[in-house]
Amino acid sequence: MKAFCVTLLLAIAGTALGAQQDVSARLAGRVPPEIAALVHQLALGAAARGLPIDPLIQKAIEGSAKGVPADRVAAALRALTAQLDVAAAAIQQAGSNRPDTEAIAAGAFALNAGISAKQVTALALVSRPPYSTAATLRVASTLAAMGVPGEQTVDLVTQIIASGGPATDVLGLPGQVMVGVSQGQGRGVTPAQAAAGLARAAAARANAPGQNKPKPQHP
Amino acid sequence: MTDFHPQVRQLLDGDINLADLPPELRAEGEEALRLLAAVDREPVTLPGTLGARVLAELRRRAEAPGFWRRLRLRPWTLVPAFAAGAALALLLSTPAPTRAPAAVTVRFVLFAPEAQQVALAGTFNQWDPAATPLVRTGAPGVWTATLTLPAGQHQYAFVVDGARWVADPAAPAVDDGFGRRNSVLSL
Repeated sequence: MKAFCVTLLLAIAGTALGAQQDVSARLAGRVPPEIAALVHQLALGAAARGLPIDPLIQKAIEGSAKGVPADRVAAALRALTAQLDVAAAAIQQAGSNRPDTEAIAAGAFALNAGISAKQVTALALVSRPPYSTAATLRVASTLAAMGVPGEQTVDLVTQIIASGGPATDVLGLPGQVMVGVSQGQGRGVTPAQAAAGLARAAAARANAPGQNKPKPQHP
Repeated sequence: MTDFHPQVRQLLDGDINLADLPPELRAEGEEALRLLAAVDREPVTLPGTLGARVLAELRRRAEAPGFWRRLRLRPWTLVPAFAAGAALALLLSTPAPTRAPAAVTVRFVLFAPEAQQVALAGTFNQWDPAATPLVRTGAPGVWTATLTLPAGQHQYAFVVDGARWVADPAAPAVDDGFGRRNSVLSL
């Protein structure tokens, strides 16, 4: 039993050391030492809480590549860590005890794009297989970045999923909204109006008789 | 070469938004963005019928004359065959979700007639401004790069003359946390 515990501890320590070395290798020569130290510290805590560390590494490299002062990069890294925590909690609210890191990263990005924590929970709730939470949140953040309000984004994604189409229907939503905007350019159609049109069409399909609805699958 | 108003050029460079243009320049700005979007990226995806075509070809080969003559069945060869058959039946009984392609080819375009060099930096190349240079192509002032990127979400910006970070005027954008904007690409 003692040997097992020692082996387990060594394995955990080895994994943590490996992760730290990976972080060091990715930051080497790309960020100042004080930022590298902060990323290490934040990444250690984030990994212990089940959060992804890749967005932190990317943000540090991005800030340094853009020539942003170190104190501002540090502030952005702390803000991002907070967003990852909020995103993880929001997805957990939807019933996922241990959300995957991809979904958490997508949730944090959605928060940054203007989707609220409550809306992240709503989107995670409707994202049952075959619809992935990460993909749904990415689509929502792209729609929000295009100018579609958060509430309307949730409504559109929910309607598309309820209409029972394949997962690619959700992935194609930003493109569909862009098409709607370009087709209605002469009439000044906004992304929000194009999204509303798509939601109405999806609702009509979902309510059509004989429509295949996705089987509810519980986590 | 289309000679746009300097403020419309700023719009195309991503320095200002359409709403920042004076009313008399908005139509020109919209037209410029429309032209840019028209020559913009065209995602390249594998045809949805590819899987069906591959399966049809496999079936055709399996049914070719001589196949059954070459096949000699032994009792023990049936065990893995039954296992494979059961696995296949199980797989076919579960409707598989339609998956997006794993990688998509994207063309990035920036109209920057005054630029000496333009590059692309983003999450897909570790924000390295030297990794992905754009080249002058077609119309004067138009810079392009074609990349094959993994499906998912990417953030990026153009780097003009090695120093000026410019969001893609033809793509949605979000706050980068440093007071600027990153363009967003969902594949």
